[in-house]
Amino acid sequence: MDEHEIEEHNARARRRRNIAVALVLVGMVVLFFLMTIVRLGGHVFDG
Amino acid sequence: MALVDVYAGPQQRIADVGDYFALLKPRVMSLVIFTGLAGIVAAPGHIHVLSAFTALLCIAVAAGASGALNMAYDSDIDAIMARTATRPIPMGHIAREEALMFGWALSIASVTIMGLFINLLAAGLLAFTIFFYVVVYTLWLKRSTAQNIVIGGLAGALPPAIGWAAVTGSLSFAPLVMVAITFLWTPPHFWALALFRSDDYARAGVPMMPVVAGKTSTRRQIFAYTLLLLPAGLAPAVLGFAGPLYLAAVGAISAWFLFAATKVLFERDETKEPAAKKLFFVSIAYLFVLFAALIAERLIGIAPFGAWL
Repeated sequence: MDEHEIEEHNARARRRRNIAVALVLVGMVVLFFLMTIVRLGGHVFDG
Repeated sequence: MALVDVYAGPQQRIADVGDYFALLKPRVMSLVIFTGLAGIVAAPGHIHVLSAFTALLCIAVAAGASGALNMAYDSDIDAIMARTATRPIPMGHIAREEALMFGWALSIASVTIMGLFINLLAAGLLAFTIFFYVVVYTLWLKRSTAQNIVIGGLAGALPPAIGWAAVTGSLSFAPLVMVAITFLWTPPHFWALALFRSDDYARAGVPMMPVVAGKTSTRRQIFAYTLLLLPAGLAPAVLGFAGPLYLAAVGAISAWFLFAATKVLFERDETKEPAAKKLFFVSIAYLFVLFAALIAERLIGIAPFGAWL
């Protein structure tokens, strides 16, 4: 890999890593929310 | 300006998402997910589908974390062996320290989530599995004894019990039979690999059985473990834990396994080891068929699961 190819690879890799971290974080928020509802057994909506 | 000057220089290739994924040993992870799923599906009682998904996710992430830690601690060996030289750390794509942080962070996260959302027994078993694979197998046994994969195989055998514990919050005889099957399956599987990769292991100084005891002894031991494994594999059907589909499928593949192990016993081509290569793939098919049969019987409702309680 020459300097230019490494630069291109790094830009692509950085972008993919950012997207992956964002997806994992959003996934964890959704999982924690849904699992909390499951653990509460639906009574959370009883008021 | 001075700061820019300090950091100017030839650029290094940074790790891509694929490098981190490779660090998780995805092929090993898929087998762990499958056996863990078998434990969840086979267990008596009800579990919410999202809880089952979360438990399986924790098992998968913990398996990946163990793989990353194994690659970090074994990076010196991996760099020497042809089979592992293209892994992300020997290739210089990920720093060893970064892999360690990644592995330990995923380990802590998976055990914590299992404990918070599933139950403490499943989380405890998961933590024990990571500890056993990383500390007992990777850091201790792998470099010190030819029995490394025999004892270390316990870590890879535990996922069905973790899956079972996630559903029931307890353990019983049935999940321990599943653990015993995978435990007895490990030596023939890994020693078949070690037979056709023995030069690699010898060069890296890893005391695998063919390197320490020789190939003839390894062939005999593979055959001996096969004779122990096959009855254990049929035990769920004999003891009434599994039904006719399981008996037929596992009976057929056991015959193939025995045939392949017998060919290894009498193999004379010590350069190419074709029989060992065949046994390696037959052993993967064996474990897949066995757990697939367990899952299938449960899903189509023909498994005699009253006996499991």
